[in-house]
Amino acid sequence: MLKELVDKGKPILGYVYPHTPLEIIMAHDVMPALLYANPTVMGSYEASLQTFACSFVRNIFSQRVNDQLPHVNGIVFPGNTCDSLQNLADIWRLRFPQDKIFRLTYPAGNQGDAAVQYFAEELRIFSNSLEDAYSSPFSDDTFRQAVDLVQQFRNAVQFLYAARLLQPSSVPYHRIAAFVREFHSVPLETVVDELRATVNDVEHSLAEAGRVDSTKALQHALLEQRLEDVSLPSDLPTPRIAIVGGMTEPQAIAKLVNAISKVSSTAVVFDLLSFGFKTIFTPMPAFEGDPFETIARSVLGALLEPTQEGLPKRLDFLKDALTHLAIDGLIVCEQSFCDPDEFESPSLLAVASKVGVRTVRLPIDSEFSDRARLEGRIQSFLETLAHGGAA
Amino acid sequence: MSENVKEEKAYRVLESHSFLQRAMFRYMLEGHAASEEGKLAWVTSGFPVEIPVAMDVGVSYPEQYGAIVGSEKAGPKLCGYAEELGYSQELCSYARANIGSVKHPEESPLEGLPAPQALLACNNICGTVLRWYDAISQMTGAPVFLVDTPPLEGEQLPHHIAYVRHGLDNLVSFLSAKFGTTLEEDKLREVTDLSTETIGVWTQCLEACKNKPSPLNCADRFLAMAPVVAIRGRDYTLEYYQTLLNEVKDRIANGLGAIRNEKVRLLWDNIPPWFRVFRIMGSLAKRGVVFPADTYTHAWTGSFKDEDRMDSIAFMYSNVYLNKGLEAKVDKMCDLIKDYDLDGFVMFSVRSCKRYSLGQLVSKELVSQRTGVPGVVIEGDMVDSRLQNDAQVETRLDALLEMLL
Repeated sequence: MLKELVDKGKPILGYVYPHTPLEIIMAHDVMPALLYANPTVMGSYEASLQTFACSFVRNIFSQRVNDQLPHVNGIVFPGNTCDSLQNLADIWRLRFPQDKIFRLTYPAGNQGDAAVQYFAEELRIFSNSLEDAYSSPFSDDTFRQAVDLVQQFRNAVQFLYAARLLQPSSVPYHRIAAFVREFHSVPLETVVDELRATVNDVEHSLAEAGRVDSTKALQHALLEQRLEDVSLPSDLPTPRIAIVGGMTEPQAIAKLVNAISKVSSTAVVFDLLSFGFKTIFTPMPAFEGDPFETIARSVLGALLEPTQEGLPKRLDFLKDALTHLAIDGLIVCEQSFCDPDEFESPSLLAVASKVGVRTVRLPIDSEFSDRARLEGRIQSFLETLAHGGAA
Repeated sequence: MSENVKEEKAYRVLESHSFLQRAMFRYMLEGHAASEEGKLAWVTSGFPVEIPVAMDVGVSYPEQYGAIVGSEKAGPKLCGYAEELGYSQELCSYARANIGSVKHPEESPLEGLPAPQALLACNNICGTVLRWYDAISQMTGAPVFLVDTPPLEGEQLPHHIAYVRHGLDNLVSFLSAKFGTTLEEDKLREVTDLSTETIGVWTQCLEACKNKPSPLNCADRFLAMAPVVAIRGRDYTLEYYQTLLNEVKDRIANGLGAIRNEKVRLLWDNIPPWFRVFRIMGSLAKRGVVFPADTYTHAWTGSFKDEDRMDSIAFMYSNVYLNKGLEAKVDKMCDLIKDYDLDGFVMFSVRSCKRYSLGQLVSKELVSQRTGVPGVVIEGDMVDSRLQNDAQVETRLDALLEMLL
């Protein structure tokens, strides 16, 4: 798909951080495309990066060295999120001076309106640099269309998330994960059309059980991050598994779980992943007012990342989710050499332990290179849950 | 007989170290007293400490404590305790050592740091500090306050200054609410003046190393930097640096170097391996190798000049060495090599410090290209000796010295 767009002359901007504001990029008539770790890439980073750079950073850089990156005309890196990505952008610029490299710096502090104003200005600078690089000015009309498209996508996937929690048989988790990946890879109307069709099917299935309204209510509660009044049906299949961890890619983890023969298709009901729940449940930006400020408010209104100030708030939300969404088991993904993931996971495990939810840690690299071991750990965990023992 | 042996050592010991020990002992006692009064904050090394000091809040530095843990060779044990709590061995060893010491103070050097009532982090040195202090907060219940200074690319723009300044104003509100204290303009001016003066004298000590022979080696500076990191803004800190500067000037006047037979002058990049630094420096000193400059101790420079001291603080703490890009680091290293007339450089790649270390492989090439001097990258860790292979370090250093000696 990307290649087709490139052949038509459409500029493609790669991005690596899930909260990158697609709407701003699209307002310049540039197509954003999420860059993923590629499991087939052989390590080619050694001349520029040490082995203790995070596995995702090593993989993306190796793709560039090997000319295996997707067809992109530039990459935007996040600033102030983690040290590996911060330094990667600098290394990239020095190693590949011919590449168009942008940086969008995010506030890490939880400083209310001051953070919004700071980020709005960073977005404006980013927008100006896109205009310079692609000779394509910011268009208000295209921006509104982009906001509308992204919001349609988010609304639809939010509904699927809620449906999965209320009636797991209505939509498989890997289907949700596939939509998330597809839209972030190429945010096109066709993806949203396909998504809409799936939502219709799911709505029919929910309607038969009289659960459409309760699904919408749960979607709203998730968006508001207020779960205390959530009411779930009593006949939910068990076990109910949630997955947490920062930059783990939902489709990769969904495939991993699917590959395990004894796992019920209804088991994984929820995630708190960056490319999953946290991005999907970003509040809708306002159509009116300064576009950079409205996008800044929207991005900073999403559930916080481990890269940001606010661990107690994140832990409170996890506790609420585990308790009110009737989660039986929690899989905590930790990406190799990822400081934010690895620092946060002991606190996540402690919260789960406090509310009596069993856990398993899943140390992974972004290529999932140790697949057999990961599958074995998940399988053992599920067997433990089935037998009611300690994880 | 023993006096004669001491005289023969390749490395000259600084007499002013006794003043340093007294200053640091006093700092430690003040930390304990502040903790007992319920007025102690732990702060990161790049934190705008002048504000809590001016508000009469005591401070302790976990990073500096990490250096003590490293030099006492307690790193593997304390880091291991953090790993037992679930913190990966891949994480910062300052953080792991600190977490381990909070869990088991009775097994830690100095019985750990005095208990904090607040945790003040500034991310101008790395993004890890926030996560680290969050972990400590989970263990101690002390709240975290972050001064967010997003990394700079080039010049600091007005919206960046405004954002950091807003964070500093919030810090004052946080400290006022937490400790029932206020910030007086006169007091802040007094503390920042002292800091400026202290940093000025420290900078003179550093720049004196342009002399040949160099009056200080980098291990001297690694020790001597402790007060400018931990207790700037205090009168006794200034007194210590004036004493050190006098000794440095005496050495220069008498043609005495930090080592007895200076042959090769090198640049050191990054935090040192605290558990080996004296062994490495001592062994190199015997071969005539001195390090007149390093990027680590040169990070604590600058001054508070503006009429509005809070603006001055916002500027200075945003513009620290580690908060700038790789190009700025390369420029700094090239400048040091030129200004201190150095023959080569050693880059210590610290496995648990990504902000400082990632990029060294590229900057090594650039620095060599621009300066024409050779360099080497050695890998290890600052605190956790399990992450270091001494034989490999030695081999690489030998390879560099073969080119220079």
